[in-house]
Amino acid sequence: MSRIVCKKCVLDSDMPGIDINEESGLCHFCETYVPFSAQEKSDYLEKMEELFREYGGRGNYDVVFALSGGKDSSYTLHKLKNEYPFLKVLAVQFDNGFISDNAVENAKKMCELTGSDYFKLTMENEVLYETFRKAAESRDAFPRLAKYRASDICNTCISIIKQKLIEEAIVQDAPFIMFAFTPGQSPNPIIPLKANFIRWSRSIFEKQLQKIGVEDKDEKFLIKNEVIESMGKEGPRMLHPLCLWDYNEGQILESLVEIGWNPPDLNDSNSTNCTLNSFACQNHLEKYGIHPYAFDIAGIVRSGDMSREEGLEKLHQALSQPLIEEAAKKLNCR
Amino acid sequence: MEPIKNDILDYLKDNSFMDTNIGLEDNDSLTQNGIMDSIGLLELMDYICEKYAIEVPEDMLTPENFDSLQGITNLIVKLVK
Ligand SMILES: [Zn+2]
Repeated sequence: MSRIVCKKCVLDSDMPGIDINEESGLCHFCETYVPFSAQEKSDYLEKMEELFREYGGRGNYDVVFALSGGKDSSYTLHKLKNEYPFLKVLAVQFDNGFISDNAVENAKKMCELTGSDYFKLTMENEVLYETFRKAAESRDAFPRLAKYRASDICNTCISIIKQKLIEEAIVQDAPFIMFAFTPGQSPNPIIPLKANFIRWSRSIFEKQLQKIGVEDKDEKFLIKNEVIESMGKEGPRMLHPLCLWDYNEGQILESLVEIGWNPPDLNDSNSTNCTLNSFACQNHLEKYGIHPYAFDIAGIVRSGDMSREEGLEKLHQALSQPLIEEAAKKLNCR
Repeated sequence: MEPIKNDILDYLKDNSFMDTNIGLEDNDSLTQNGIMDSIGLLELMDYICEKYAIEVPEDMLTPENFDSLQGITNLIVKLVK
C-alpha cells in the first residue's frame, strides 16, 4: 500500500492507527471533525469571564499560568493581561534542565511587560536527567492516545508541570490554572478539577512513573498528598483560552517580536524553548513510528489556522542533529 | 445496558486509538490497560454528559465508576433514570 496523506490535514496512512478513507480522502479525525462555531467560542469566552468575576480576587493569585517562554504561552499571557488586566497572575516556568537561556529571558520579559509574578520551578538536574532517560528507554508507559499527543519524554515533563501547577494553585488558593494549548492540543477550554479527579490523576501519573521505573517517594513530581488533603471538594479550573482565540502563527510571532520577545535561534522550529525536544521527537519516532507533533499540527491545519503545505513542511522537517547529540550526552543515552 | 456499553466501546475505538482487536473485558481498567489517560477521561466524560444529557456529580468521578466499561455503563444507567 502506498502512503496516502489526508486531503485536509497532515496525517497519513503510514502512521500507525491512521486510516484514510479512500472515497473521501480524509482521515477519521477530519471526517468527524466539528469545529467550535463562532457562537460556541464566544459562549465559552463569556463563561470564562463570568468565572473570572465570580472567583477572582480571593486567593493570593487568580491565575497560575504555565509559561514556557515559547511563542504560544508568551502570546497567551500577553493577550490575557491585555484583555483582563485585573487578573493577578503567577507565571510558572518549569526548568526541566533543558530550557534555553533565551526562553528564560523571554519568560521574565513577558512577566515584566504584563505585570505578572515570575516563579521558576526548579529541580535537581540529575534527578530530571535520570527521569527523562528512563522515559526515553521506556515503552508503552503512556496510553496509545497520549503517544499521539506528545513524546514519552514530553508526556512525562508535561505531567510533572500539570501536577505541580495544580499543587501551586491549591497552595496559593488560586481559582484558575492556565495552559496555552492550541486547538489541536485541547478540545476542552474549561475543565473544573474536583478533588476526586485530582486524586485520581495523581495516581494515574504515579503508575506511569512506576512503569518507566521511577519511584517518586518524595513527591518531587507528584502533587503532594498533604496538599490534596488540605483542599475542599472544589478545586481550581483549568482554562485554555488560546483555543478560543484566533490562532495564526505568523501573526503571533510578529506581534511578540514587536513587544521585544526574542525569537529562538535554533534550527529546529519546534524547539522554540526546550533543547530536549529534538531528542524526544527522534526517540518517539524510533520507538513507535509516530511523530509526536503530527496530531498537534494536524489539529491546527484542520481548524484552518495553518496551511496544509506549511503543516506538512513542519512535520517533515529534519530534526536538529547537534541538539539531539547534546541532549543524549546530558541524559547519558547511547 | 448493551447499547450503552457498545456506544462507549465505539467511542473508545474512534477516539483513543484503542486496538480494535484488543479483548477488553467489561471490568478491565481503562487507565491501567493503556486506553485512557486523565485527559482522555475528561473528554469521555464530556461525551457522555452530552450524549446522555446527564451531569456526573463530583463524588461519582472515581475509578470505581469511571475506569471500566461496566462501571461507566452502570453510572449512565443510574444517572439517566
Ligand atoms: Zn485529516
